[in-house]
Amino acid sequence: MKILEANAGALANFEVLNFLKSKGASKDPTRVLADVAPSEYKVYDYLVETAACDQTKENVNEFLEKCKKYDLAKAEVLNIINIRASTAVEIYLIVEDCEKRLGDDVDELVKTVAEVLPPAPTEPASEEVNNEADEKTADQNINEQLVGEGPEKAPDKEPIETS
Amino acid sequence: MFYLSRIEHTLRVPPDILSRPLTEAIKVELEKLFLDKVIANLGLCISVYDIISIEGGFIFPGDGAATYTAVFTMIMFRPFVGEIISAKVKESDANGLRLTLGFFEDIYIPANFLPDPSRPEPDPRKRDRVTWIWEFGEQKYVIDGEDEIRFQVHSVNYPPIPVEQPKESKPFAPMVITGSLDCDGLGPVSWWDGADESEE
Repeated sequence: MKILEANAGALANFEVLNFLKSKGASKDPTRVLADVAPSEYKVYDYLVETAACDQTKENVNEFLEKCKKYDLAKAEVLNIINIRASTAVEIYLIVEDCEKRLGDDVDELVKTVAEVLPPAPTEPASEEVNNEADEKTADQNINEQLVGEGPEKAPDKEPIETS
Repeated sequence: MFYLSRIEHTLRVPPDILSRPLTEAIKVELEKLFLDKVIANLGLCISVYDIISIEGGFIFPGDGAATYTAVFTMIMFRPFVGEIISAKVKESDANGLRLTLGFFEDIYIPANFLPDPSRPEPDPRKRDRVTWIWEFGEQKYVIDGEDEIRFQVHSVNYPPIPVEQPKESKPFAPMVITGSLDCDGLGPVSWWDGADESEE
């Protein structure tokens, strides 16, 4: 095995997510049919819960355009897109020498992020949990109905046998 | 987090999959060989991105399979030093935390990289588990088992494969990420969501 080029380009989280989606990964529970390996599914599961799940190329290109004036390093922009830094604290963490380079522009950058990149899925995750809970109770109701029918049948049989 | 790497590899393609189109057959073989495996200094192989060229197709004497030399690009998981990543807590003990990303579980935060000052509190339910609590001034922040934790990558190590291992030691981890929680904004996301307004 020969490594021709160790670094042929960095990929943002949403690009990897789109690649896995185009291979056929999706959220539904029947996962046997798609051409996606179980280890790839684990990556898909992780990425779908981050801020990358709703990002599109247009969003990101727009964000890159607006970021040019701040003169950020490529790794810093990638980091900001991947975790969708929505507060000044996160920007300070990502950008080195933030005070010197950005100073007051930090607030502007935070606003740009909030405007251009779609928000992380915090509420939908809880909705999914609620849906699963609803499905579980629905299943339980069906089971209870089946169990309920059993004992009702047995008493019908007994009188016939004794008579 | 993810990079593309171009790799050339010579591989055997067994005869039973040769009825499929060639690119597909080679892709299946490459996935079997590389997926979910770590290549030293390159990272964890996630997926075959595309195949650039295929050459060869020779059949060696005595072998039923065809041998091809393929050049292909692979998506590798290789975080850079200083990257901020969100992960969940897998274990928490006296040495520090262990975090997991679902597809990668060897992320360790040693006790000295936790925010200063932190103290461990032994969990009453399990013997070895320890809950870490950060004391910031008068407030106590707990590292809960359910939160999403943001950490900064401190280093990525690829320990050499050991020749012999004692029986009860942990399974060998070919790629270990050491992280730190020692900065503003790191740690469970819940610590900073509401705190941001009060601190500024």
